[in-house]
Amino acid sequence: MEKVLEVKDLKISFKTFFGEVEAVRGISFTVGKKETVAVVGESGCGKSVTASGIMQLLPMPPAFFKGGEIIFNGENLLKKSEKQMQAIRGNKISMVFQDPMTSLNPTMKIGKQIVEGLVKHHKMSREAAENKAIEMLKLVSVPQPEKRVNQYPHEFSGGMRQRVMIALAMVCNPQLLIADEPTTALDVTVQAQILELMKKLQDQMDMSIILITHDLGIVADMSDRVVVMYAGQIVEVGLTDEIFANTKHPYTRKLLASVPRLDMSKDEPLYSIDGTPPDLYIPPKGCSFYDRCSEAMKICKDHVPELDEHSATHQSRCWLNHAMAFKGNSRAGGEK
Amino acid sequence: MTEPLISARNIKKYFDVAGGQLKAVDGISFDIYPQETFGLVGESGCGKSTAGRTIVRLYEPTDGELIFNGKNIYKLSRKEMQDVRRNFQIVFQDPYASLNPRMTVEDIVAEPLDVHQAYKTREERSERVIELLRLVGLGEEHVLRFPHEFSGGQRQRVGIARALALNPKFIVCDEPISALDVSIQAQVVNLLKNLQDKLGLTYMFIAHDLSMVRYISDRVGVMYLGHMMELAESAELYSNPIHPYTKALLSAIPIPNPEIQRNRKRIMLEGDVPSPINPKEGCRFVDRCSCATDICRKETPVFVEKKEKHFVACHNV
Amino acid sequence: MKAGLEFTPDLFSVAAKEDRNKEKIHRPSIKYWPDVWRRLKMNHLAMTGLILIAILSIMAFVGTEINGFKYFEQNYELINVHPDGVHWFGTDELGRDLFTRIWYGTRYSLFIGVMAALIDFTIGVLYGGIAGISRRNTDAIMMRIAEVIYSIPYLLVVILISVVFTQAGQGSSLFVLIFALTLTDWVPMAILVRGQVLQLKESEYALASESIGATKGWILRKHIIPNALGPILVNVTLTIPRAIFAEATLSFIGLGIQAPRSSLGALANDGLAGLPVGNAYQILIPAIFISLTMFAFNVLGDGFRDALDPRLRK
Repeated sequence: MEKVLEVKDLKISFKTFFGEVEAVRGISFTVGKKETVAVVGESGCGKSVTASGIMQLLPMPPAFFKGGEIIFNGENLLKKSEKQMQAIRGNKISMVFQDPMTSLNPTMKIGKQIVEGLVKHHKMSREAAENKAIEMLKLVSVPQPEKRVNQYPHEFSGGMRQRVMIALAMVCNPQLLIADEPTTALDVTVQAQILELMKKLQDQMDMSIILITHDLGIVADMSDRVVVMYAGQIVEVGLTDEIFANTKHPYTRKLLASVPRLDMSKDEPLYSIDGTPPDLYIPPKGCSFYDRCSEAMKICKDHVPELDEHSATHQSRCWLNHAMAFKGNSRAGGEK
Repeated sequence: MTEPLISARNIKKYFDVAGGQLKAVDGISFDIYPQETFGLVGESGCGKSTAGRTIVRLYEPTDGELIFNGKNIYKLSRKEMQDVRRNFQIVFQDPYASLNPRMTVEDIVAEPLDVHQAYKTREERSERVIELLRLVGLGEEHVLRFPHEFSGGQRQRVGIARALALNPKFIVCDEPISALDVSIQAQVVNLLKNLQDKLGLTYMFIAHDLSMVRYISDRVGVMYLGHMMELAESAELYSNPIHPYTKALLSAIPIPNPEIQRNRKRIMLEGDVPSPINPKEGCRFVDRCSCATDICRKETPVFVEKKEKHFVACHNV
Repeated sequence: MKAGLEFTPDLFSVAAKEDRNKEKIHRPSIKYWPDVWRRLKMNHLAMTGLILIAILSIMAFVGTEINGFKYFEQNYELINVHPDGVHWFGTDELGRDLFTRIWYGTRYSLFIGVMAALIDFTIGVLYGGIAGISRRNTDAIMMRIAEVIYSIPYLLVVILISVVFTQAGQGSSLFVLIFALTLTDWVPMAILVRGQVLQLKESEYALASESIGATKGWILRKHIIPNALGPILVNVTLTIPRAIFAEATLSFIGLGIQAPRSSLGALANDGLAGLPVGNAYQILIPAIFISLTMFAFNVLGDGFRDALDPRLRK
């Protein structure tokens, strides 16, 4: 598959009063054309920092890129100047955020915000851009687009605002859309609408999507591949079917077991993961999941496991994959 | 047939806002039985949070009765209410906002004890605090720390410890897990379940995450724009929903199983959740309902028992 | 795999449960006020102000004893001496050493400033706190009264009171002066506190406290005021220079502190006569000290405001 984005060993840290906090500790993944890659993890795992990092929207300082490359269309984004990045943002790579209220300028009419991007990146005339804006609003199913294009953000409901955000993000036909928890703040019925919309647009525009979420249901619904992050690292990556049906990493397994599902019987217990994720101000010496893993072994404490391959597309980072784990520990290897 | 612990009758709560009257809760009635978990679900603006707070009289109701121990608590004097409050506690949604950032964990958890003067010596107070913290999985080492030093899940557990301080009978959990990470949600929910078994608690569990509500609740009520649309036992509601809104709601939830999720037939609702300010007469769901008829616009449907222990408010069933 | 790591079966045996700490809190405990202090220290301008205040305060008590002259000592042979090696700030028209008198004046200026700020604080917190926590009607009435009081021109009030008390023979009393200064000055503080209370009483922890059965007074004392102390502190720090300047103005027009006591403003007033006859130092020096004092408190107050702003946290 043609690669649109390739992240190689990305490392991002923050300088704080206490010292360096390593938010992203060497992650690598690819996004192919027209593919949806879900990045799953809980707060603090580094997924949002990664998303903002790709767009270089992190405040620098206190954030800084400690290492790695972000290859987009053959070029390393980390080597680009701010001006070059501005030509890419909103144009080739777009982002949709969780809270549409804070990402839209409350003092500017919706239409104007959409038109801005077109005039700047595609050098369109005002008139052509305004027509395109109405067309975009129609595309995202905003009713009465001719009228609403002249309204302000506060006149739209939450779901409508998110649609406008999507229109804004799509208007220049980007190759890659990064959606950071796009539906977390929305009601369930509205969420379903927005997800359908995204699928439709992806199909029409041959677009790739990086979907950041913590909702495993959305992952099952939308994604082709899944990247599971924990404490700044990728612990498992694979095709969606592989991740759900043949889970390899204890964290992913526990995560799946801790989500109540409509299709499971009511009496099935809900497993939870004790404790809290590690503080990345003192990154764990060995496997970052060690303190909370019920299958932890002595080696896990001091040594970071490498990514092992289970198939051409499925990898996980765990000492349980090691051949010796089966001999020394009868519990290892695929049990809940 | 056991007696209900609390009975809510025609509870209404209106707010005066710019633009008219916000009918947050517009006449809901239900019973909650001892040691059961009563789930209340709905989307934003449905009034479930307001309902929870009105039931414990944190908000003064616009109308209605709440019967507890044979008395309507809305008619009690301040002093009598003080006594009742020992039995009614709330756990709030936002673990970052519901704890005073300037108070230590010890003072936060002990506050109910302080307000009701429920101890004689400082040692007694300390011991009780440590006991409560242990109940929720925290320990003595956390006693002198401040809320901002804890994670969301830990803070929520402090909130639960505070709610347990006076040995209440009934706890309203107002979206207690919405602001938490997925794996932590399971932690807190399991904790609540364990505490229920251990201490014989009765819960009202308010949430918008239907999967979680199904898991923890015995009976579930579905609210929409201030009205109760459907109420049934948990398993029954999820396998045989009657109200069109409930059906749409259930079909909108993505299931974490790619094979099942891809093959599901979904009921899509048009439009957004409307505003509860100055609502029109008739069924509140009429604008988004796919089977709305004329009578739906004119008359508000009555909440009746359509099947055994299964209540619905709809003209078309 | 890692180079040099020998894989032994023991490494793959189950890890002991005690070895894993699930609820660890790594970072050291940051308490609120120490953190504010730390942030204040990073602000060099504010620290300059603080040091200046410290110096002025110490010298206010010690400075009068340094060069041996008494503040009331008159010496007709040494009138209007320009600053020199013996009289570092010169002498005034009665031959009194100005260096000693400056510190004597600073003592009273600081005293008045701090007292006025404290009284403003007390009345303001009580009034604003009660207004904020009361029902809308009570609050509205209280605020209207406060606004009416504040709209009376303060100078007028002060002059009236001074005149009335002078006629009664009490005009030189320090306490009458402070009373006059604070009569209308507490209102901005009350408005500030009320605003804080209105905002904080909607916070979820205040609501949680209410659900436990706490009274309004309890919530005000335990939850609201402690969290409002930040802005209140800033306001108190900025009230001091205002009061000092107000007193200086009054003394300058002859209404403030009376002889034998003196303040910086009174000294400036005394020195006014020296301006046309080439003794500018007599007014310049007190004026500089008034400015320095006000500057110090103002930058400290600004520093507090920045140190307390959660958004500016680094």
